[in-house]
Amino acid sequence: MEIIEENQDNVKIFKLHGRLDSNTSPDFEKKVFDAIENGSKSMIVDFGELDYISSAGLRVILKATKDLKRVDGEFILCAMKDYVKEVFEISGFDSFLPIDNSLDEAINRF
Amino acid sequence: MDTLSFKLKSDMSELDTLLGHLNTFSAQIGLTRKCFCQINLALEELFTNIVSYGQDNQTHPVKVDITYDEGVITIRIEDRGIAFDPIKAKKPDTKCSLKDRQIGGLGIHLIKNLMDEINYQRKNNKNILTIKKRIEDLNCC
Repeated sequence: MEIIEENQDNVKIFKLHGRLDSNTSPDFEKKVFDAIENGSKSMIVDFGELDYISSAGLRVILKATKDLKRVDGEFILCAMKDYVKEVFEISGFDSFLPIDNSLDEAINRF
Repeated sequence: MDTLSFKLKSDMSELDTLLGHLNTFSAQIGLTRKCFCQINLALEELFTNIVSYGQDNQTHPVKVDITYDEGVITIRIEDRGIAFDPIKAKKPDTKCSLKDRQIGGLGIHLIKNLMDEINYQRKNNKNILTIKKRIEDLNCC
């Protein structure tokens, strides 16, 4: 999996490419928590190029959401493909996480 | 009928091998991207469960058979690790607030929702998991 990190104003954007599974999630986890430790409070994860996610990826997302909530931060997800969206819906994560259709929509929230 | 059988070491590094085999099978029968991902998820969650919880002091190979016959994909996963029925795992509360939401337990919940059947048997000191997914039309799931 490839992770591209961008900063736009005070918003940290992670663009995920490929597969977020048991093998690749630790790398994503490290990047997200390094950013939180370094003071990032507003984050967007762009799933536009993400083909696959398993519960290992969901675990990182949930942990990050809880941590950001604690510091009054915001975590926005966007541009999910059908399969990825289905996984989020079955997990019930769509009830507490904003999921936007596009990256532009997500950026406009800030 | 299309069948693919393979063995994996009980080690997380085998996830890529698993993916390679699934790619081969998928190309053989022409699975859609979405259906491929759903089956990939079922295999990954069950395999990682075996690696994480099913091992005693020795490592045991994990035997996987995938079959496609008359619109049904059947996956059979067999290992000689300690008895472990993942289906009995407590269902996560997917409706609770973020604060109360627990990390974990999602793998089996996802499989139960994405697949049509899941069964566990302990037989001759083996764990045998069987999953079925009906695909009326290869392009529809």
